[in-house]
Amino acid sequence: MFSRLSAMLFLFCLPSPAFEIGFQPVQPDELAMRFELKAPGAPAIILYRQVSQDNAGAQGYEDNYFRIKIFTEEGRRYADTIIPFVKSLQTVEYLKARTIKPDGSVVSFNGEAFEKEIVKSRRETVLAKVFTFPDVQVGSILEYSFTYKFKRGYATAPQWIVSQDLFTKIARFTLMPGRLDRSIGLRWVYHNLPALSGQPQQTADGRLAMVVFDVPALRTEDDMPPRNEVEARVDFIYSDGTVDTNPERFWKTVAKKRTAELEKFIDKQRAMQSALLQIGVAGASPADKLRRIYATIQQMKNTSYEVRRTEKEQKREQDKIASNAEQVWQRARGSGSELTWLFLGLARAAGFDASGVLVADRSDSFFDSTLLDDSGLSNSVVLVRIGGQEIYCDPGAAFTPFGLLPWPETGVPGLVLDGEGPTWVKTPLPRSADSRIERNGKFKLADNGDLEGKLTLTFTGLESVQWKIDLRDEDDAKRRESLEKEVKNYVPAAVEVDLLSRPDWTSATDSLVAELSLRIPGWVARAGRHALLPIGLFSAPEKGLFGSGERLYPVYMRFPYEVVDDFLIELPDGWEVSNLTKERNEDVHSVAYAIQVARENRNLHVVRKLKVDFLMLKTEYYQALRGFFQMVRTRDEEQIVLQPGNTEANN
Amino acid sequence: MKNKLFCNREIRKQIIRPAILLFAAFAAIAFPCQVTAFADDVPHWMRTLIDSQLPSQSEKTAAVLLYSEENLMVDSAAKTHTMVRRAYKILRSSGRDYGMVVVHLNSFRKLNSLRGWSIPAQGKPYHVKEKDSLETYIPEVQDSELINDTKQRVLRIPASDPGNVIGYEYEVEEQSLASQDQWMFQTEVPARESQYSIQLPEGWEYRATWLNHREVEPVQLGNSRWQWTLNDVKEIPQEPDMPPIEAVAGRMIVSFFPKAETQKFSKWQQVGDWFLSLAQGRNDSSPEIRSQVNTLVTASHQRLGKMQALAQFIQHDMRYVAIELGLGGFQPHSARETFSHRYGDCKDLATLFQVMLREIGVESFYVLINTQRGVITPETPPNLWFNHVVLAIRLPEDFADPFLVATMHHSRLGRLLFFDPTDYLTPLGQIRGDLQANYGLLVIPDGENLTLLPQQATELNGVRRTGRLKIDLSGNLQGEVEELRLGDHATSQRSILRTVNTYAGRTKTIEQTLSSAFANFRITNAAIMNLETTDQPLGFKYSFESANYAKRAGNLVLLRPRVLGSEARTLLETKEARRYAIEFSGPRLDTDTFDIGLPPGLQVEELPPATLIDYDFASYSSSTELHGEMIRYTRRFELKELSVPANRADELKKFYRVIAADERNTVVLRPTN
Repeated sequence: MFSRLSAMLFLFCLPSPAFEIGFQPVQPDELAMRFELKAPGAPAIILYRQVSQDNAGAQGYEDNYFRIKIFTEEGRRYADTIIPFVKSLQTVEYLKARTIKPDGSVVSFNGEAFEKEIVKSRRETVLAKVFTFPDVQVGSILEYSFTYKFKRGYATAPQWIVSQDLFTKIARFTLMPGRLDRSIGLRWVYHNLPALSGQPQQTADGRLAMVVFDVPALRTEDDMPPRNEVEARVDFIYSDGTVDTNPERFWKTVAKKRTAELEKFIDKQRAMQSALLQIGVAGASPADKLRRIYATIQQMKNTSYEVRRTEKEQKREQDKIASNAEQVWQRARGSGSELTWLFLGLARAAGFDASGVLVADRSDSFFDSTLLDDSGLSNSVVLVRIGGQEIYCDPGAAFTPFGLLPWPETGVPGLVLDGEGPTWVKTPLPRSADSRIERNGKFKLADNGDLEGKLTLTFTGLESVQWKIDLRDEDDAKRRESLEKEVKNYVPAAVEVDLLSRPDWTSATDSLVAELSLRIPGWVARAGRHALLPIGLFSAPEKGLFGSGERLYPVYMRFPYEVVDDFLIELPDGWEVSNLTKERNEDVHSVAYAIQVARENRNLHVVRKLKVDFLMLKTEYYQALRGFFQMVRTRDEEQIVLQPGNTEANN
Repeated sequence: MKNKLFCNREIRKQIIRPAILLFAAFAAIAFPCQVTAFADDVPHWMRTLIDSQLPSQSEKTAAVLLYSEENLMVDSAAKTHTMVRRAYKILRSSGRDYGMVVVHLNSFRKLNSLRGWSIPAQGKPYHVKEKDSLETYIPEVQDSELINDTKQRVLRIPASDPGNVIGYEYEVEEQSLASQDQWMFQTEVPARESQYSIQLPEGWEYRATWLNHREVEPVQLGNSRWQWTLNDVKEIPQEPDMPPIEAVAGRMIVSFFPKAETQKFSKWQQVGDWFLSLAQGRNDSSPEIRSQVNTLVTASHQRLGKMQALAQFIQHDMRYVAIELGLGGFQPHSARETFSHRYGDCKDLATLFQVMLREIGVESFYVLINTQRGVITPETPPNLWFNHVVLAIRLPEDFADPFLVATMHHSRLGRLLFFDPTDYLTPLGQIRGDLQANYGLLVIPDGENLTLLPQQATELNGVRRTGRLKIDLSGNLQGEVEELRLGDHATSQRSILRTVNTYAGRTKTIEQTLSSAFANFRITNAAIMNLETTDQPLGFKYSFESANYAKRAGNLVLLRPRVLGSEARTLLETKEARRYAIEFSGPRLDTDTFDIGLPPGLQVEELPPATLIDYDFASYSSSTELHGEMIRYTRRFELKELSVPANRADELKKFYRVIAADERNTVVLRPTN
């Protein structure tokens, strides 16, 4: 096997970064490899990879080198190689490739590397060099190198993406910054580097270098954190001017600058007062005032939620871009952040103690203030202090009810724009009870086992917001189809569903309510003199949830939520209940489940509650979570034993 | 398993796939177009459409095609110009896709001009031109072509919103390989008016063939120009498991040729001859190939053994890599080159295999086929719509072997065995489902050879499960299941399993099966049999435990005897009546036998009744019986036909409902004390 010692010797032998990385000597232990213990089952691994960028000269370049070991027939697909590049910024040169067969013989790549056009427009052309290795067998080593040459005078912001689709045994990265890099302030931050790996170090000649070992291949799992949070990489950040590396001073400067911009935008006292008159807040309680302002803003046209426009359409709209809150008010339209800042202006004008807050968005990555990068604070909310309470509002987030924030803005750090500080806050994470799926129904069981009735489906809080946002551009037919499909997905059997009501899709009320009719043919099965009624009427979403016995990454939820089912089933005349299922109640704090079935005259009353009350669960707790959902499924599969009357039932 | 493409440009240029549209949408967002001209450029033909009466539509109709015009001008046998005009009214937000104009291009098809307009219900119109468009590579099927020259020109029309009218006009110049064009007048949206015209050189004639539509007479507009017009063409709704749209859409295929000559492809034989001419000189052997063949066949004295050794080589030592530029979309690389690189596409691999077979004295023939069953039928005029190449191997009449089932008797060639060298998981002797009962063009020097490939017996495809299980007094189930997968079921599983080599990874495949059957389970042992031996059924053998499988209900215990697997489907549980046939990938037979031992102290109170439902297209039966202290559940699901017509959809729906009810059935047990 490829030992750590041989790896180190190999590294020692490596040439220092040169304009063109040559092929490396064939190592007998690499040829003999049949598998990699640290990447069990891998179809192939990267034995060695080198990325060396040099921006010091007049023309920057980046040398790339890969050596890949093929373990299985499936792994031979890594012989097809694609090297993308942007035509106006770079070229791909000095491409060399060869296959080293398992017996050590070498087959050079003498074929053509084709240039494939990925996208070509008037402004830009994205191309790719594509080629495939000859005579690739299981056990082969594929080796190739190429150089990205950058256009003269152009410096690309490097990014070392350490994680690859394949396990990487060793990778070496270097960067020789150019004069431009230094003058505009180049900094770097690293994420998820393997434990034994080095970190970027500056060498005596000003070069940055890093060697990493045993980088796991990236995987995809359900409910995993954003890819950016699991990928090993080094980001380089350019900043305008000299960056103050003291975090306190850095964020103070940011807060001061952004506060000044915000205050300038909302500093329209007279216009705001006039707007309040139009809204009609006079005489209202403080809380009511704030809600009225919020509701008014949410009724304005929010351009952030419109269909992405062509450049021409955007151009026509350009004269309508507002430069201050007064203009936003007058036009009754604006982007999400413009509307939120208008709300701040109005709240202040109404006498509220309110501040603008820049908050992170956790949908793609998690904010880290120590990185000294204010681009991570991409969203805007307003903090209102009222009656000793702090309320966070984002009326620029469509359909979000007063008192809630959209899920990417919940539980995240925020920088208060108070001109001082820096003052950091953390936005609240809503309780699971704030975002619910409620299924209330009254059904009638027929003698033939069919179940039929009406269902009231209610989404509240962030569940409601998500539905409204997802279907905001759709018409009634599509919305009907989506809701009916959703209900079909709840029931673990074939079901006929019809939407009966016209839900309110457009307002920012706390809920979305739909009335539906439901018919499940043969829901109750006959077993001789008995009939069996499954209690898990809406249990399908939990089937197969966390079914895998293995887990690599933590479990990550967008927001805590609850599912509450409460329905009555009327039994046919003459039918009796032989046995009810037992009441179950399992609460392990971050998740909870309860189910209860009661006899109420001719009805069976079923109440089922499922609570998921966490955002991130560490991998070590995965088995406990899996066990919990196994318990849920086991309980949902229970059946009530009924004694039919004299009527003959179909099966 | 995915299809390997033959790169049929004739089809690609006509059919816009949603995936391509999605890619185009992404690309267009990345490079939004800029507009340089203004409203008054909206052409008259489009302005007149604003207040047009819409054709009948459903509430799901995304858009209506108000007007479509295609004018084909034939310059010569090889060169044509086509001018296309289309205008849509967008009805729903999903109709915005129609504002993304996609023109397919390749080495033989160039774009001369492209323009688009939109007339919003409110506000000024927009006009966009070719310079505002993007050219993108058509995203490949993963692990498919390495490089080809098919591209698409994408123009995004502004304000393609519900209520607005959008339109476009483009002209393409084409080198027609088949001297043929097709007018696809029926699509996913209804059409108010569609026109097609052909302008021929003096002394030329055309031949029109109509598919899925009654023939319509053209109007002659001068000496050599004819025009067809259709109004109110119905939309084709998307249904799950429907036939390919090419098999059901109304279209007209026009062939054009000088009167003094014959039509280029008036017979299938001419298509075959054309392909043979392309392959000529490319299926010659070489000393290296000969040496490899000798090495491979030395171990076997039997001809079948030799053929199997060569098939093993082509399926496992060669890689699928397609490099298709220009005529390379149709023309195989030389066998010598393919052998040297150890890679090639379907026609390259077929050519090499043909050469290797010849080295052992076995004759074989190319078979051109479209892997979407129904696209090519005897009613289809000869064309180039194939997307795959396989081989027909000539067998001696006395060559009897039970392994060789994908065979047919040809009147002149005798017994033929079909084999797909690209399909590395289906052994020599069988073919996968999408090739079965499908028409392929047998390329032989003479004769009409559109041939129906054989449909294999149901017994050759499916899942066979047997389980020896027991429950205890607490309702816990444990035991062992052996699962054999045959045919395409084995192929698809092998394809997945080949990507994982570890015990844990392979156990995950079993986990997925069990997680759909049990609320909880633990696999205690698992083994996979015949993973690499593709001529044997793929086997899974696993032991597991599932706590509380049988559930207490008062003084009763409830047990589902159908332990694993599900045959019920809900694809027909829709409000709308089925419009098109339901297509299955292949014939299939699944069987389950589960023996569940009962512990002392539990006795059977009720057994579910037996189920039997039998149609000519499919049948299902199950029974639950008590054998001493053991419950035996058996069932048999057989899919006999590959297609069920729409007028029998209710029968199929009932069939699946009966299965679903049977799968929910329960055995009622009672403690003896």
